[in-house]
Amino acid sequence: MPEFLLEIGTEELPALDAPVLAEALGKFLSEALTAERLRFQKLEVFWTPRRLAVLVRGLAERQEDLVEEVRGPAITVGLDADGNPTQAALGFLRKYGASPADLVRKKVGEKEYLFLKVRTPGKPAREVLPAMVPQAIRSLPCRKTMRWDSSGVAFLRPIRWLVCLLDGEVVPVEFGNLQADRITRGHRFFGPRELPLSSPGEYEEKLREARVIADPEERAEMIKRAATRVETEHGVHALWSEELLGTIIGALEWPTPVLGEFPADFLDLPAPVIAAVLHEEGKFVPFARDGEPAPVFLGFRDGKEDEKGYVRQGYERVVKARLRDARFFFENDVKKPLAERVLDLKGIVYETRLGSVWDKVQRVREICARLAPVFGVNGKLLDRAAFLCKADLTTEIVKEFPELEGVMGEVYARISGEPEEVARAIGEHLLPRTRSDALPESSLGVALSLADKLDTVMGAILIGEVPTGSRDPYGIRRAANALITLVLRKKLVVDLFELIDAASEFYPELSGRKNPEAVKKFLLERLRHILRDDYGIPHDIAEAVLAVPRGELLGFLERAQALSSLRGEAALAEVAQLFERLRNITVEHGNTSFSPELFQQEEERELWREYLKAEGHARRALQERDYVAALKALLPLGEPIHRYFERVFVMVEDEKIRANRLSFLKALLSLFLEIGDLSKLVT
Amino acid sequence: MKTFQDLVLALHEYWRDQGCVIFEPYDVEKGAGTFNPATFFGCLGPDPWRVAYVEPSRRPTDGRYGENPIRLRLHHQYQVILKPPPPDIQDLYLGSLEHVGIELREHDVKFSEDDWESPTLGAWGVGWQVWLDEMEITQFTYFQQMGGIDLDPVSVELTYGLERIAIFLQGVESAFELLWSEDVKYGEIWHEKERQFSIYNFEKADVERVRRMFELAEAEAKACLEAGLVFPAYDHTLHCSHLFNVLDARGAISVTERESFIARIRELARACAQGYLNLLEERRARVLA
Repeated sequence: MPEFLLEIGTEELPALDAPVLAEALGKFLSEALTAERLRFQKLEVFWTPRRLAVLVRGLAERQEDLVEEVRGPAITVGLDADGNPTQAALGFLRKYGASPADLVRKKVGEKEYLFLKVRTPGKPAREVLPAMVPQAIRSLPCRKTMRWDSSGVAFLRPIRWLVCLLDGEVVPVEFGNLQADRITRGHRFFGPRELPLSSPGEYEEKLREARVIADPEERAEMIKRAATRVETEHGVHALWSEELLGTIIGALEWPTPVLGEFPADFLDLPAPVIAAVLHEEGKFVPFARDGEPAPVFLGFRDGKEDEKGYVRQGYERVVKARLRDARFFFENDVKKPLAERVLDLKGIVYETRLGSVWDKVQRVREICARLAPVFGVNGKLLDRAAFLCKADLTTEIVKEFPELEGVMGEVYARISGEPEEVARAIGEHLLPRTRSDALPESSLGVALSLADKLDTVMGAILIGEVPTGSRDPYGIRRAANALITLVLRKKLVVDLFELIDAASEFYPELSGRKNPEAVKKFLLERLRHILRDDYGIPHDIAEAVLAVPRGELLGFLERAQALSSLRGEAALAEVAQLFERLRNITVEHGNTSFSPELFQQEEERELWREYLKAEGHARRALQERDYVAALKALLPLGEPIHRYFERVFVMVEDEKIRANRLSFLKALLSLFLEIGDLSKLVT
Repeated sequence: MKTFQDLVLALHEYWRDQGCVIFEPYDVEKGAGTFNPATFFGCLGPDPWRVAYVEPSRRPTDGRYGENPIRLRLHHQYQVILKPPPPDIQDLYLGSLEHVGIELREHDVKFSEDDWESPTLGAWGVGWQVWLDEMEITQFTYFQQMGGIDLDPVSVELTYGLERIAIFLQGVESAFELLWSEDVKYGEIWHEKERQFSIYNFEKADVERVRRMFELAEAEAKACLEAGLVFPAYDHTLHCSHLFNVLDARGAISVTERESFIARIRELARACAQGYLNLLEERRARVLA
């Protein structure tokens, strides 16, 4: 059976994008072939930095025939009294070249019609493919597109050649200024510039001869094997990350390991500095021995062994030069204790309206002073950590490697003789940077991180920098997401609204200043996204719990999870349906104190008794943050509420009785609102 | 390749043979070769254009008082513009490396994603940093926009870091050790200048005066634009850009101010670009130089 090959030859694709595009290409072709009724047995995807390819094996010679039922005239029109075809039916038959014997009767709705089965013979694959290929290329989800020639076509990087083969034949495909051919290209430096293919099946082997490994899995294996060899031979442990591995696989057509060493006297540099240097200068794999950095690193050259050792020399020279820079910075940095650097923060503008970084530090300290008793941490140590947490911004190392902010603060705090907890808190205070980042572990670190993020968000919003659309110059969404993630994942019970109100006096009075309510609103808005995206909370449940604004954010998640777990219960559905009525009738009424002796009807007293029972259980459960138990205590109220609404007329003439009834219902409503506005639930 | 000047001459030779106009550095201070009118204006409009030149590029924040082997307040870029880019542009570029004496098959050359943009010029492009044995030697960009105007045809810009390539070729560890000519070292020409300008940019520049200079240059650029004098307006735009960089190095610009400064310069650049296109329409200039 025929084989089909499509190769899109490009200039170097970004390492992490190539696999995404290749997968999309495979998916598009697989679906397009199926939609075009072209069966196939197997579809393989290949990619390197310079090519995206799909090889289809066992492809059908031609499309399957298309059999469609076509509707003709209604029976009443198409058949005469004797059941013979009328002129209308004969015309219908002529159109499709069919005879009266082919007609079938079929009902559509109330009416019966004449139908024909029409068969369109399938076209050969070679006639279908030319249109499919340009569509496939245009369908690829490029993160960003560019133009490179007069055709004006756009892609992630320039497309320079196309191979499109159906068995031994070139499929006539055009894209932009290119015409497909059978000529691929070998490795840029170690293969032929032009490499003709006689058939799709030889794609992988021909490329291998031309020093290109088309299969990314195989390249990943080569890379990992090389690292493992270093691990065994040197008794070290490779410090991999997904991103590092992905970058190396994505950058090379034939990964060839080059092991480098750097002088052991650089090992007195802090481990994060060494890692930052190795990560920055190209894509080197760092190694550790017994948890300490080892003086070796692994780079990958594309194509061939570094026989003369020039590449290794080059790598080592680059790494050594950067380590020497780093050491120079580090040694300068430690000359000045961290605490003495804090005053220099006055010289670093944080934001024109919000002052210097020093001013920010003062606000963070104020927030920390309020947090310490809430979290039961040592206020003095927390304040010290807050005082010092930004001081590393004045160090050379952090200016050179901004990603080491915080990390170096911890190192320098320790060298300056600060207490261990303080050093640790400084090192942790930027965590989590994103929703998926690591969390601070020490309790001081958690408190400091919370205070720092809250200040960032509050400051920006109070001066009116509320992110809109894609505009978020201060990164406030990310900061707020990180803050909320911290609260939810560390299960922090803290009322952020109280904190916001208390802290708002520390922000400058500006004309046009937003009020603290805007900060609260923004945080709840971010929480709404996080509940949905990170915790899979259904939309209606999120709306129900968020209907009652609170500053204690963890409670929203726990309430939402309780509601989710009781989702199927009939009693919940019943209460949810009654809820709106309960809310609407009491909407103008503020009071919740009522007198049972004013109750007139048995239904009132029954609901009251049930309410008393439920309230006790529910309040206790709420206090213990056991929202499932609280809900379970409240759900039995559904029935008596239902009976109440059936029998009791609330809005009676007698003002006293009416007010008493409304107060009672309001009290009932408030109890439910401890969980949320259940009327939002979709039942 | 023995000396720094040999490297420049070899590149001149190579790109001359590719039909480039060998241009000169432009005599107004700028942060990169892209700001040279031969690039800024040369990329605009429909006519083909190939140009190559050395550009001494001033970046006040990169100064290190002459104490860093490679980080410099002023470094030399070798800039090539090819409009429209030929389909074998990557091979042409690699050919230039071979021409200056880099044996590609003995080293490691990678094209690593790096999309370039200049918010002040209202310009962006797509491309790579080129790494030689994991040292960055070239920025390779397909310009898509310049002065806020979509380019048609697009241009390729090649920006070689001459000091880095020379360090590689001469096997030294610091730019200051490079031989500029057979008997003059790079450091003899540049070291004291690096030191003095670092002191000026980081410590001494008078913030108020420099702000005033910025405003004067901006006003002058606007006046020129109103008079339809695109090229003088562009010179003053370049002054603005450099003065902004000095203020930035001096630590005198906050996050919010930065945005507004950049927007002011971008507005001038846009107006210059538009004015130049108008000139082309009136057929009063073919290219720029």
